[in-house]
Amino acid sequence: MVVKELVRVPPDRFGTKLEETIMDILKRGYEYRGRQEGGYEGKLQPELGTILAVTKVLDIEEGRVIPGDGAAYHPTTFEMLVFKPELHEIVDAEVVEVREFGAFVRFAHFDGLVHVSQLTDDFIVYDKKRGALIGKETRRVLEPGDRVRARIVAVSLDPEKVTNTKINLTMRQPGLGKFEWIEEDKKKKEKGE
Amino acid sequence: MKLTKYEKARIIGARALQLSMGAPPLIRLSKDMHEPITIAIEELNRGVIPITVYRRMPEKKLLGEEE
Repeated sequence: MVVKELVRVPPDRFGTKLEETIMDILKRGYEYRGRQEGGYEGKLQPELGTILAVTKVLDIEEGRVIPGDGAAYHPTTFEMLVFKPELHEIVDAEVVEVREFGAFVRFAHFDGLVHVSQLTDDFIVYDKKRGALIGKETRRVLEPGDRVRARIVAVSLDPEKVTNTKINLTMRQPGLGKFEWIEEDKKKKEKGE
Repeated sequence: MKLTKYEKARIIGARALQLSMGAPPLIRLSKDMHEPITIAIEELNRGVIPITVYRRMPEKKLLGEEE
């Protein structure tokens, strides 16, 4: 992802290699009058997703001197690596927690919820002792540690509060579910059942 | 190109602010040079300030010139 932005280079960083300085500002950032400048790595932005890394500074234009501030402002074009969970995207995830209302799955650095109704076509019972969800007909078990493949059906990102970031997924489509189930279904299909 | 007195004032002001905010001086400082403004004036006189003045001309052209 290529982005262009005005980067504020403070005077005490003059005289060093400009490209390195700007790279550092973009990666780690600094505080100026209580405002955060740069420091994009690890940040979540609703339009972009999470910025995993600033990879390359492509172009630094001539800096401008703004009245009242001793810093130089350089329009900078740079490249960064972002991850954004897209609607309808298929992800491979790991089950991290199972509750009576569904399973929490983790993919990349996001946690999403697969609601009980979206697990399988089967009726699902919650086993409190095991902390697992079990299909009544198929006896299929879903518990923490299981690897699953799921489709994202709803995304809501909030950079301010991590708890407000909600991602819902479904596994109730052919080719989705726990990896073992997918294999079973494939074999069944081959047999012609 | 000769700078107008206004341009000089603007450059000295900008440069002095940079110096006061921790920018490294571009000239060797003598013992009696402590004031950012004094240093900025001396830097300007020696022509070492890397600031370009863009003059806004009536024909809407921007005339850039090194300090």
